[in-house]
Amino acid sequence: MTEHQPVNIVMIEDDEGHARLIEKNIRRAGISNVIRHFTDGTTALEYLFNAPDGPAKNGPALILLDLNLPDMSGTDILAKIKAEGSPLKRTPVVVLTTTDDKVEIQRCYDLGCNVYITKPVNYENFADAIRQLGLFLSVIQVPDPEIAG
Amino acid sequence: MAKSAPLRDKAHLSFTRRLLGLLSLGFLALIGAAVAVAWLQGQNEENADWVQHTLSVEAQIADFARGIERIETARRGVLLTGQPEFAEIMTEAFKATRTSLDRLDGLTRDNPIQRPRTAQLVQLLADYRQTEHEALTASLEQRRAIVRDFKTDRGVILIQQVRRVAQQMLQEERDLLAERDEMQGRTLAFFYGVLAITGLMIILVAAVTLLVMLRYTRELDVSRAELRRLNDDLETLVDERTVELQRANQEIQRFAYIVSHDLRSPLVNVMGFTAELDAARKTVGAFVDKLAEEQPDLVDKDVKLAVDEDLPEAIGFIRTSTQKMDRLINAILRLSREGRRTIAPEPIDATALTQTIVDSLQHKVTEKGAEIEIDTLPAITTDRFSLEQMLSNLIENALKYLQPGRPGHIRVTGRVDRDRTVYEVTDNGRGIDPRDHDRVFDLFRRSGMQDQPGEGIGLAHVRALAYRLGGLVDVRSELDRGSTFRLSLPTVLKAGDVDA
Repeated sequence: MTEHQPVNIVMIEDDEGHARLIEKNIRRAGISNVIRHFTDGTTALEYLFNAPDGPAKNGPALILLDLNLPDMSGTDILAKIKAEGSPLKRTPVVVLTTTDDKVEIQRCYDLGCNVYITKPVNYENFADAIRQLGLFLSVIQVPDPEIAG
Repeated sequence: MAKSAPLRDKAHLSFTRRLLGLLSLGFLALIGAAVAVAWLQGQNEENADWVQHTLSVEAQIADFARGIERIETARRGVLLTGQPEFAEIMTEAFKATRTSLDRLDGLTRDNPIQRPRTAQLVQLLADYRQTEHEALTASLEQRRAIVRDFKTDRGVILIQQVRRVAQQMLQEERDLLAERDEMQGRTLAFFYGVLAITGLMIILVAAVTLLVMLRYTRELDVSRAELRRLNDDLETLVDERTVELQRANQEIQRFAYIVSHDLRSPLVNVMGFTAELDAARKTVGAFVDKLAEEQPDLVDKDVKLAVDEDLPEAIGFIRTSTQKMDRLINAILRLSREGRRTIAPEPIDATALTQTIVDSLQHKVTEKGAEIEIDTLPAITTDRFSLEQMLSNLIENALKYLQPGRPGHIRVTGRVDRDRTVYEVTDNGRGIDPRDHDRVFDLFRRSGMQDQPGEGIGLAHVRALAYRLGGLVDVRSELDRGSTFRLSLPTVLKAGDVDA
């Protein structure tokens, strides 16, 4: 466990535009961590669990997760990350999505999501929310993954 | 349906008519029988009177005949013996005979056949009195001669005549009696005939009535069974349709929800990058301004125009349009969310509820200088939130679309119509063109001058809620006269009646 290992931000977001806007606003908040962007669930999971430079094998990470993905539901990814015995169980997951359905929000928290943010349609609010998330990310302490084997 | 309703009504009517006809026929027969009985009774009494009369006539004749025989006996006594005792008996018997003849005369006064006979008897009696007198005053020789000439004795001849006339009278009375007996027999036979006919008629009517009733009852049974079957079918059909409708409704709500969510995603991009574009424009604008200051010949008019006017204008339009789209999507989302909300019926004091709504709108009411009047509204058991939303939307609309220059007057009334409760919001506002009466309830549709803020959601929302509560909403309105929105809801909403 190295103290100063940089925290990678893994963004799973199928909408390129949203991803760009999120990144822009995080950068505006002064966060310069590496952001890895995936547009579908399968490659994202592959990276998270199996990539040699992925968080499971290598260093702490923070996951930004959209629920509406083309190939699988974001909640499935969340369930896999937070599953019992998963190396990423303690990795913070911020669900950032357009869905504001109460049931869905509850389900995400039940599955172990750490923060749930609904993307505001109004851009000023959206930018504001992301910037605040950035500020939040700059102070958050992220645990190292339990590297298996 | 085998028979249509009017046809069945007609059948029922003809049945009633037929039954009434038969019953009146039966009653007529009964009345006929009663009249016949009364008539017969009268006839009987009359006949009895007549028989009585004949009997007394006969008795009188017999009395008279006996009296005559007595007188004759007495006369013969006088002729044979000359004793004056016989004369006394004769006078006495004559008096009795005279009395009985008077009575006979009285009794037979009505009979034209008997009358001359009584007169004849009176005459004969008077003549006979003469012979009597002769007998009393005759000498012994004369008396012997009279006794000897029995055959030519005038008294004897008179007596014989009297006997004959009396016999004729008696015969006449007997004939009369026989005639009356016969008549009575005929009357009785006629009466029995009438009785038999009416009895037959009553039996016939009863039989036919029974038959008609039986047939009608059977028809009734058949139609009832059919009705039950149809009703069962209908219920099954309604259940099936309800399930289908609920499924369709759920489908639509899910669709609306998904669509509005999926529409939001690109909208975030459009709005986001428009903001980025605007930020970029500002940077470029600042640069162009700076350039124009330092190197005016490098900046031509077109660049200035593009940066200062064209770009802000385009961005402005994109912004307002996306904002509008955002509002519309939010409206759909809200409606679909309303559709998914659980309905909880509870008893509601509608008057108090309306008062609360009006109180919350008080600043608008004052601002518009309008006046809202709330009648005593009937209570209702329904979903409080929905009712509040509906009434609030209707009253707000009434306030919104008042006719400028006319003091606004809004009235909320209510009444119970069988198992439904009807609330009405009436205003004297600008009214709605009849062409738009249906349209105003459609989502995003509005009517008249578009001089008020809004997206055309309020009435669509009211209608969706009303449908959900098993109710209806409609409008009566005339341009420039005002509108009346009528909300008709089930008085008692059961939780099970509401689709999921």
